[in-house]
Amino acid sequence: MSNAEEISSKQKQIAVSEFFEKNKHFLGFDSLQRSIITAVKESVDNSLDACEEARILPTIHVELNRQKNDKIEFITQDNGPGIPRDAIEDVFGKFLLGSRFHAIRQTRGQQGIGITGVVMYSQLTTGAKTNVISKIKNENSAVFVELGLDTRKNRALKTGEKRDVWIDERNGQDIEQGLRIKTVMKGKYQKGKQSVHQYLRMTSIVNPHASISLIVRDIEGNIIDEGAWPRTTERLPRVVSEIKPHPHGIHLGTLQRMLRESDERKMTSFLRHNFSGVSMRAARDILVKANIDESRGPRRIKSEDAQEILAAFKEVKLLSPPMDCLSPIDDLLIKKGLSKAIDSRFASTVTRNPTVSQGNPFQIEVGLVFGGDLSSEGPIEVLRFANRVPLMYQQGGCLLTKALESIDWKRYGLEHPAGRGVPKGPAALLIHLASTNVQFTSEAKEAVAENEEVFEEIRKGLLEVGRGLKNHLKKSSQRKKAQEKFELVNIILPEISKKSSEILSRSEPDLAPVITQIMNAVFCEEELGWDKERKIGTCSIKIYNYTARARAYSILVKWPENDTISMVDNERGGRKEARGIWAWRLDTLNPGTCTIIEFGVNGLAKGEWTDTDVFFRGNGDIIGASKIDETLLNEIRKTEALDAAEKEILNDVGNLEQLIDRAEINEVEELQTMQPPSNIGQLSLSEWEAE
Amino acid sequence: MTIRKAKSKEEVIHALHTVAAEMHDKMMKGKPPAMTLPVRTKTNITFDKKLQVYKYGKNKSTRDATSLGSARVLLRSLHITEFIEQMINSGKSSTLREMYYISEGWGNGKFGTQNESNNLAEDLEIVTKCIREDFKLRPEEDGARIIGNVTFEEKNRKGEWMRINCRDDVGDSGYGVPYNVEAEKLKLVEQDIDFVMAVETGGMFDRLVENGFDEEARCALIHLKGQPARSTRRIMKRMSDEWNKPILVFADCDPWSFRIFASIAYGAIKTAHISEYLATSEATYLGITADDILAYDLPSDDLTKSDLGALQSELSDPRFATGWWKEQINLMQEIGKKAEQQSLAKYGLDFVTDTYLPEKLGALGLNY
Repeated sequence: MSNAEEISSKQKQIAVSEFFEKNKHFLGFDSLQRSIITAVKESVDNSLDACEEARILPTIHVELNRQKNDKIEFITQDNGPGIPRDAIEDVFGKFLLGSRFHAIRQTRGQQGIGITGVVMYSQLTTGAKTNVISKIKNENSAVFVELGLDTRKNRALKTGEKRDVWIDERNGQDIEQGLRIKTVMKGKYQKGKQSVHQYLRMTSIVNPHASISLIVRDIEGNIIDEGAWPRTTERLPRVVSEIKPHPHGIHLGTLQRMLRESDERKMTSFLRHNFSGVSMRAARDILVKANIDESRGPRRIKSEDAQEILAAFKEVKLLSPPMDCLSPIDDLLIKKGLSKAIDSRFASTVTRNPTVSQGNPFQIEVGLVFGGDLSSEGPIEVLRFANRVPLMYQQGGCLLTKALESIDWKRYGLEHPAGRGVPKGPAALLIHLASTNVQFTSEAKEAVAENEEVFEEIRKGLLEVGRGLKNHLKKSSQRKKAQEKFELVNIILPEISKKSSEILSRSEPDLAPVITQIMNAVFCEEELGWDKERKIGTCSIKIYNYTARARAYSILVKWPENDTISMVDNERGGRKEARGIWAWRLDTLNPGTCTIIEFGVNGLAKGEWTDTDVFFRGNGDIIGASKIDETLLNEIRKTEALDAAEKEILNDVGNLEQLIDRAEINEVEELQTMQPPSNIGQLSLSEWEAE
Repeated sequence: MTIRKAKSKEEVIHALHTVAAEMHDKMMKGKPPAMTLPVRTKTNITFDKKLQVYKYGKNKSTRDATSLGSARVLLRSLHITEFIEQMINSGKSSTLREMYYISEGWGNGKFGTQNESNNLAEDLEIVTKCIREDFKLRPEEDGARIIGNVTFEEKNRKGEWMRINCRDDVGDSGYGVPYNVEAEKLKLVEQDIDFVMAVETGGMFDRLVENGFDEEARCALIHLKGQPARSTRRIMKRMSDEWNKPILVFADCDPWSFRIFASIAYGAIKTAHISEYLATSEATYLGITADDILAYDLPSDDLTKSDLGALQSELSDPRFATGWWKEQINLMQEIGKKAEQQSLAKYGLDFVTDTYLPEKLGALGLNY
């Protein structure tokens, strides 16, 4: 090592512990209450990411034991893949600052400094070493090791390392794989909106595939807080693929670096292979606009040319980046996650289609629960998430909150005094932003920064769940009214008739005309159920005609149609009106009679279908159903047709691109066979020299 | 003179049957059963010049079985009708609270709260023009206590008339007014007094008794116990009618006490159907007035939000539409204060009997 190198490396080493001290506030270790939350967060995020990568359903246990003088024993354990012995020092001893930021995909880890922060904080506040047990599936024994940090050299100090079998304290069995971390740090355990309990609860909502538990004990060992959030789905989040950057999100420096490091021979292939969303035609258009010959080698591009290219990116029509780099939770799973954490009457969730802002794919998910055990006093609970990580601080300054506050909730059935701030009522709202690049307002990474496209997407999602709530409230008030009327004519009225006749010793009147007069409407009641044996969701719709005339209607019902879900037991037949909407004709519904429509739905799990809408077509209102909006129906049909057409086109485009790629490979192979390989090397070298 | 003649069994039962008949007739015509009764709010009470009291006005409301709530009320009134008929026929009576509990056995006709059963009993009084004594229903609340040189005859449980002098034949708590003070139960026999004074609070009543005010000022003292029970108002009305003595009301100075006076003098909104039997239009509000708070510099409390609301609501109550009441209410709003009767003790225990009352009575021409 040269002298200069040594100095620079030393400076870096000193910087690490100083860096921690100076930046405690945005690393999340600025107060005793927050430090403990941050420590749990770093550890749990790591476990979730590791399990996801290893395709393991995570089971995570957190234990906090209070000790004297504001100290807390901190234990977390997971069933993840474990860490190989040789990697332990790196994982726990090095700050990962920036290292993961190059990968363009959605990860939790983007938001913290990693588990090293926990080791560092413990050591700085109590001098404690961090005990790690790591077990890898293929190995016979687990690694037990104590870790400290050499803050001057920025690396971990291992002591007391041994290998042994690792036995589960609770059931005495060998643990096959997993990671356990135990340390002691300064900290204060507090309950409430900003607490470990709330953090884990929120985490479990957006990670329905994880089982998470928490135990907190006081100095005497009494349990003072606990929580258990079992998994509600066996489905792991989908594997997210890394994507290439999109031209709209690229900066000059990055472009220049990419050009410099490229092995491509031609600019067209450089553009097509290093960026997402650039087709052959687009690549050519860009080069024409930038006035660059398409066969020019990327390494020969000068800085001015690079700027031209950057400008051309904005002018040429580009495809959107692929969206499989995002991992949305999925609206059904949000519903499950929310209903496991919050006892409510109604849940409406939306997963918006992924979209792009400045070349960064992002996707919005929104969930709303209402009623049940939720308190109707005070503002609703706002649950904010970025890439499946709960955001617990700086609610007011966050884009997600601002989008929520921008909606007139009064129109959707929530109290919203003066239309400002967070609405009130027995509700909780979840907003999840999944993105390859979440922009925060500050390094603390607790509030999402302003972005018009993201704001608009959130608004659209919120409006959708808002409409769901409005519908639900309207429906439940209609249902209540209908039930009251049924009770009135079927129970109370006959008793009035009987009692008054008894008192007066008269004969009882015929109640049929009285009932018609009182009800004077057609009623509809739907009921969704679950056939346990056959694993079929059932739906039954009863239509009562309590008017003096015979009626005729078409009844339309929403059902969760898709490729794997089919309709069964539909004895009345009917026909499909649009995707997810089935219709039956009722030709004559005589006065005073009731008709039932029944069908089942195959391919669903229990609890996945809890809400439907009934519409009608025909004269005279039906209480409990809404008149079908024909223009809306037409629109649904149109979108369907468009979607199908688009799919076909995309397929064609995909095929075309593949053809071009194949042709290019052939071209290269031809070249390679024509020229001796050494020449290529020389060419590259000369190119490199030219730069 | 408003001596009320008791209704016969047959008259009461017949009146109740008209209620059931209205429902039955409607159903026979294919219409929802219904019950028609006057609107029972302050917007529908008008001053009856002949009777000099407030009665319900012309606004009627129809309670018909087109909503579940109303249908339940109709069913309940039928159950009550049946229950009253049984009591009349078997010579029994029950308290309103007992009826509330008995309704547990009425299935869909049972009451949700006691308030519901009380209100419905009043509704039936109104539509049948009977009173609850006719229905054999007793209130829960105690009647008032009376001390003074007046003599009543009350029919006791053995059916014998008992003569009671409210000065000589009673202890410190006075004569307890029974719930039924109609002629068939109570006779006003003799008196040697100049006026009747109704006192709102027990503390002040006991102070006046201890100071021997009833004998000194030659009056009968009545303890109202807050908002006076029907029988209390009825006996005051009879004392006023049959003995022709002035009735004075001595209460706290706050909006709720004003309402107590209004129910005594003009009739209560809830019982406007029988105001002519209960309200004593000759009654006078003696004090404590808003003027008194200033004139006697009495210890006072600030008016609360609900006090202010009550005052505001009184301004739109026709019973307080006279100039004197408006003045008092406005003055009270202005000074923002209220005072209790017992605040007079600021100047000693005898101040009320030695100074305050003589001055106030003197102003009315009642010197002693």
